[in-house]
Amino acid sequence: MKYKILKALDVAGLQFLDPIVRLIYGEEPKVQLSKIGRFIVIPILAFIAFLGIWGYVAPKHATKSGEVPTPGVVANAADGIWTFHKRENIKSRDYLLAGDRKETSLTEAQDRLASITKAEKAASSKVAEAQSALSAEIASLQAPHKKELAELKAFNKTASNSRKDSLSELAESVSENSSSEREAYLDALRDHNSLSALEKENEKKISAKIDEIAGMKYQPLIDARFALKLVAEEKQFLQKRVEYLSKNNRSEKVAEYEAKLGEYEATLASSSGKELEKTGARILRQEERIERVSDSSYAQPWTFPRQIKRSLMCVFFGFILASMIAIPIGILCGLSSVFMAAMTPFIALFKPVSPIVWLPIALIVVGGFIPDPDKHWFIDSINSLPIIGSYDLNPAFIASAITVALCSLWPTLVNTALGVASIDKDHINVARVLRLGFWSRLFKIVIPSALPLIFAGLRISLGVGWMVLIAAELLSSSEGIGKFVWDMFNNGSSDSFAQMFVVVFVVGLIGMILDRTMIVFQRLVSFDEAPTSI
Amino acid sequence: MAYLELENVSIGFGPPTSRTEVLQNINLSVAENEFVAVIGFSGSGKSTLMSLLSGLQKPDVGEVRLQGQRITSPGPHLGMMFQNYSLLPWLSVYGNIELAVKQVFRKFSKKQLKEHVDRYIEMVSLTPASWKKPHELSGGMRQRVSLARTLAMQPEVLVLDEPLSALDALTRAVLQDEIIRIWEEDKRTVVMITNDVDEALLMADRIVPLTMGPKATLADDFPVTLERPRDRATLNINPEFKKLKMDVTNFMIGMNKEAKELRVDTNVKMPDIKPTHFHAA
Repeated sequence: MKYKILKALDVAGLQFLDPIVRLIYGEEPKVQLSKIGRFIVIPILAFIAFLGIWGYVAPKHATKSGEVPTPGVVANAADGIWTFHKRENIKSRDYLLAGDRKETSLTEAQDRLASITKAEKAASSKVAEAQSALSAEIASLQAPHKKELAELKAFNKTASNSRKDSLSELAESVSENSSSEREAYLDALRDHNSLSALEKENEKKISAKIDEIAGMKYQPLIDARFALKLVAEEKQFLQKRVEYLSKNNRSEKVAEYEAKLGEYEATLASSSGKELEKTGARILRQEERIERVSDSSYAQPWTFPRQIKRSLMCVFFGFILASMIAIPIGILCGLSSVFMAAMTPFIALFKPVSPIVWLPIALIVVGGFIPDPDKHWFIDSINSLPIIGSYDLNPAFIASAITVALCSLWPTLVNTALGVASIDKDHINVARVLRLGFWSRLFKIVIPSALPLIFAGLRISLGVGWMVLIAAELLSSSEGIGKFVWDMFNNGSSDSFAQMFVVVFVVGLIGMILDRTMIVFQRLVSFDEAPTSI
Repeated sequence: MAYLELENVSIGFGPPTSRTEVLQNINLSVAENEFVAVIGFSGSGKSTLMSLLSGLQKPDVGEVRLQGQRITSPGPHLGMMFQNYSLLPWLSVYGNIELAVKQVFRKFSKKQLKEHVDRYIEMVSLTPASWKKPHELSGGMRQRVSLARTLAMQPEVLVLDEPLSALDALTRAVLQDEIIRIWEEDKRTVVMITNDVDEALLMADRIVPLTMGPKATLADDFPVTLERPRDRATLNINPEFKKLKMDVTNFMIGMNKEAKELRVDTNVKMPDIKPTHFHAA
């Protein structure tokens, strides 16, 4: 049992859990504890230290979008993203609800709305309280400085006035032909001006202090405002929810239209001539309307989790495309040195090309194939597929996937070629002795022997693809993580700044999971016991 | 008539200007069901000879024939057992043998296939390990799998390329006995390469020494007339065995000396110079 667990951890690339399992089974507790310290405690401590440094350094830098967010702000932003997603899902469900379930949801939402309205009032009064507390605090802090300033101003004023008086006296007393006396007057005037400037400067210093106090950070107010924002958002959500459960609900709308239709039909029964024509047209229009509404669904905005799913789909499309191109070509390269020689210039030339260059080309080429995305058979057919269809695949998506493929196929291609070319000569001899044909030699000897290297290449490819994808989405405005980042960047509020930090962690985490998954595959196809690198 | 025959076979490598002849003028004929051991020093071209016999390489000059038919390409009827096992590491013991059997006996039903594979795994006593991968096996076990794979193809000729040289002495003895037992049960023509005189004497009907390379060729053979079954315990005191061993060993050592003498010219004239005086002037 123990060895099975250890083996499973090993295959899954989770070796850091190894000492915990061994400790549970009571194997050399000292050794295991020291391993836990090294491989689990130290990384956690390092991460905590990182959070600490981040939290300390971030507020020191002010930007146009506010201060650089601290870990706490980023966590709140992540929570906000998630809440928004959940609420949109609820709205989308509510729109389709009908009958009793709709009614119960409606009362539930209304109850909640009533209590949240109270909570909002409480929260806003708290904000007001905090605000007045802050004002009082500011006033009390500013008071001494203000007093000082007033005193200084008064003092400076008298000093300045007396200097001015003496200057006027001096001016009066200057005799007609004495240039030296005139010089003396100018010097005195200069002295006066520089003294006045100095006095102004001192006054300014105190004013700056007062302004600084006025702009002070007051945590209770920030917290109260944040709480109010949360409550206000929930209130807005509940109001919308009530709408979607009552007058904007699909079944309600259909019922409303059907009632109208009934009216028209009644009119039709008793009408003739011109009126018949008019009513007939109305009935047809109304029927069309009912059909359209009863098929409709809530126009859900792109929430971040949905964008993540679309990004994942895009990267897999690109990755599969890349594998379908790279593996066969790689095998051909490995089998035939002539083909390899023919391919070398292409590999060398196209491998370093940036995704930023591929993407516009891909967009234009795809656009050439699909001039009108709304009426193209290919787009229509993929969008009518069950799960994939709900992600609204469009030419920008296809272009992004192609860009991912173009950038990520090289590692797989090169590794496959290497794996096939470096097949053990003994294995070839076995194939010759057994007189295997081309295909069975390929599938029974060549591919299995190259498989570990092919998978090593696929792993690198997936990593590259994931990195490229975000840039591609950002440029092509294909809904996904990249588009989210771009929208947040253009949004420019401090909240969206924090949400970009959330993206960093989400992208990193997903990339890590993808990589780990590929490691597991790689280990499963590896026949030698060589460990795979982290 | 000879069953397996090499006639005036020569093979070499490299470009015409700096060509190395590995084997020159090799003549050998093996009778059906005969066990021939080719013995030679390392680097004398033994493995090249085996490649020629199994059809993996073609001679530059001369012909290799099996039952009068020229051998032009390798095939399962020439069962080659490689020095370094050559098992496919991604297949289990069973899978390795199955691949060979499937290829040779295409008409086997699933049941027949399984029976056949199991029989040969049993023959080399590896049944408990049949689902293990080669890297989980010891060297001796791997070599047994290789043997089972070769035998399972039921070749007309068994070509064994130093099958036991990578093994330790104890495992080697066990496998020697096993090969002999299997050969006696199911007689075949065997050509085995070895560098161990004892092994050759224990197993073979005839020993053919290969002279030192390059341009190696086969010297006169030593028929081993020891009665079978040969018991390794009593063999050491058998006068005939002792004599044969002495003869073969002396021949090999003599050949080694000759070769060395040929290679290094011992009669290099040293310049006739003497220090005139050691004292500084």
